[in-house]
Formats: sequence, structure tokens, C-alpha cells
Amino acid sequence: MIQVASMKKIFMVLLILLVLLPASVCADNFERLRRDSSRISTISADFVQKKFMKILSKPLVSEGKFYYTAPDSIRWEYSKPIKSVVISDKGNTKRYIASGGKMVEDKTGGAQAMKIVLDEVAGWMSGKFTSNPSFISTLKEGSNTQITLTPVGKSMAGMIEKIEITVSRKDASIKSVRIVESATAETRIDFQHVVINQEIQPSVFQDVQ
Amino acid sequence: MKGLLFLIGSLLLVSCAVLPAIRPVAGLAEKNIMCPSPFLTEKIRLIHAIEVRAAGQVQTVMIGVTMTNPVTRTISCALMSAEGMALFEAVSGPDGLKVSRALPPFDAADFARKMMDDIDLIFLAPQGALTEKGVFVTGETVCRRHKEPGGWIDVLQGHGGPIHIRRYSEGGRLQRSVTLAGGSANPYSTIDLQASERVDYSLIMTLIESETVRDEPQRKE
Repeated sequence: MIQVASMKKIFMVLLILLVLLPASVCADNFERLRRDSSRISTISADFVQKKFMKILSKPLVSEGKFYYTAPDSIRWEYSKPIKSVVISDKGNTKRYIASGGKMVEDKTGGAQAMKIVLDEVAGWMSGKFTSNPSFISTLKEGSNTQITLTPVGKSMAGMIEKIEITVSRKDASIKSVRIVESATAETRIDFQHVVINQEIQPSVFQDVQ
Repeated sequence: MKGLLFLIGSLLLVSCAVLPAIRPVAGLAEKNIMCPSPFLTEKIRLIHAIEVRAAGQVQTVMIGVTMTNPVTRTISCALMSAEGMALFEAVSGPDGLKVSRALPPFDAADFARKMMDDIDLIFLAPQGALTEKGVFVTGETVCRRHKEPGGWIDVLQGHGGPIHIRRYSEGGRLQRSVTLAGGSANPYSTIDLQASERVDYSLIMTLIESETVRDEPQRKE
């Protein structure tokens, strides 16, 4: 009888450990990622974006450049197939589009929608993957670190199913982002020619050419 | 009172609108007049950059994908932001209209129906009885159809010039004016759509990619 009671206790302790251990390991990994990312002050990179949709036979490919200066300055510039630039600096976000050979400011609410996205991206760049209460974050270690953000609640319902971010284990920079919008639509962004901690002129986050 | 005035004003506007007069072509029987026909004859996927203008100013630019089957008159379409975010997806055909994604403001009532009607007007040969053929006073050859459940569609072309498609209400009010400025080689390479609504707007569509569709599955890399 005593043996059975002891077995039950051991089983319970093991169960609790099994539940708690991955969570604490995960929290440690996120903390390590935050520490590693804190060493990044600037990032510049080229990116290739592939859009998959049911209506497309092959992905729609976009290309552009990405610039980041800690803590929250971002320039997200598309050169193909449509020229557009989103700049976020000191809490101010503006979106520009090409028209008649020059860049003009977007007059719709597009800039505000992009502000939400860029604020989130700026968080990722500084290793903050768990700060947005709209997402549950999980982390998987491998040759690279993969973070999966899954929306909670209804605010993202019908918009995003999940976001997968692949982070380099070498320097904590983001290698790729996969945004799954639905079973038949997703966006993959691969960053290339990543340069870390090289000075970026402040004008990059102010001027649009 | 304001509502009543608006109603009377609207009625006057509608009743005053008159379809442009079509005249016979001197020395040519009506049956020998060739109607301009830029419309799709096979299933094609087109990707356009769409510049949205209102009050004479550029508002935004989007990416539009249309896949149109002229045989079944089925239209699939998607709208994306310039950054590639899917904003709207819908299919329209003999089974009706099905919207699978519509983020604000594209979830507004009637948006999907009106958008599908615009795509139909641009890419598909108009249905309805051919009521008149001839020329406008300005010289363009024009063919006029009366469509069901109501309204008129003119397809016109000047000598070697761009093809125009115009849609009028039953009472003759111009609702849409489309100019296919791409030339005879690819009339859909540049499309200018002027919409006469409560707030007038225009769409300038520039072709990014065109592909004949052979019902292949989507490939993932």
C-alpha cells in the first residue's frame, strides 16, 4: 500500500517536471536570444519575398532592402515588382509609393497598418519575441533557432494563422520570416547579404528618393 | 428635407442623362461594321499594379491578380498591398459570388460585387442584345449592347486609337469608363478605369505579368 502511494508521488513529481522543465528551458532560450540580440545595433540586408496563393501558379517574387537601427528605426524598401518604402523612426511611420516616376506618400490608412507590423519587427530585431500578448511564442533549437508565434484571441482571426521566424545561432540575426495567412496563402521573406553593426546614416530613416 | 432634396436632385440627374447618339456609317451597311473586341478568349492570369486615385491625387498602390475564364465567365481575383499582404480574395461565376478573404475596408457592403462587375466589364465580352452599331460624332466606331438586368455598354475605338468601354445605367448615366491604352498587341498592359460613384475614383492598372492558364496545381518551392 505504502509502495503504491510512493509510486503515485514519484509519478506526480515526474509529471510536474515534464510540464515545467520545457517551459523553463524555453524561457532561458528566449532570455539568451534577448541577450544575443542586444549586441545588435544595426542591420542592413537585401530580402527576397515569395508570396504563395491559390490564385498564383508560381510565387509572386518581390525584392528589396531592409535597414534597422536599434531600438526602433526601420526602413523597409521594395524595389520589385512595385516600388514602395515604409519608414518608421521615433514612433512615426510613413509609407511611400511610386507614381509617375516619383515617390508619393500613401494617403490611405496603409501607413498605420504598417506601423503595427514594423513595431513588431523592431521587437524581433531586439530579441523580444514574447512581449506581444497577441501571440504565444514557442522556440525550437536546431542548426538555427526557430520561433513560432501563434495568434491568441480573435484580433488576428482570419488574418494570420502563424508566423515562423528563423534566427541565426551564430549572430542572432533574423534569417527568414514565414507568415502563414491561411491553408492556401503564405509569405516567405529570406534575408540575404546581412550586415550587422555597420553604421547606417540617420537620413536612411528620413529621406525617400 | 435634405433627404428629399437629394432624392429630387438624383432623379433629375438620372432623368436628364442621355446616351450619346450613334450615327450610321456613310456608305457602309450596319452588318458590315466590325465591333471592337479586345476581350479575353482564353483563361488568363494577369497581375497588375493598381494605382488608386481620388480627387485627382494618388491614394495608394496595390497589386491585383485576376484569373478570368471567358468560357465559363468565372473570375477569381485577389488584392494585395504593395508589400504583398493579401487584403481581398473572391471568386465569381455561374454559382454566384464567394468571398474568401476581405480585410477592412474591403469588407464593405457591395465592394466585392462592384469589383467583380468592373473586372467583368474590362475582360469579358459584354452580354446582352446588340442594339446599335455606327459611329459617334467624334468619329469612333461604336457597338452598343443592352444588358440584363439593366444598363448599356458601349465598346468603341477611333482610327488606330485605344479601345474604350463605357457602362451606362438604364437611364443613360455614365457609371464606368475604361480605356485600354496598351495598343493592339496587348490591350491589357495599361488599363484606365474611371468610376462615377458617390465619390469618384480612378484605377490605373499596369501589367506586371500575364500567363495563359492550363489549370495546373500550385507549386511550392
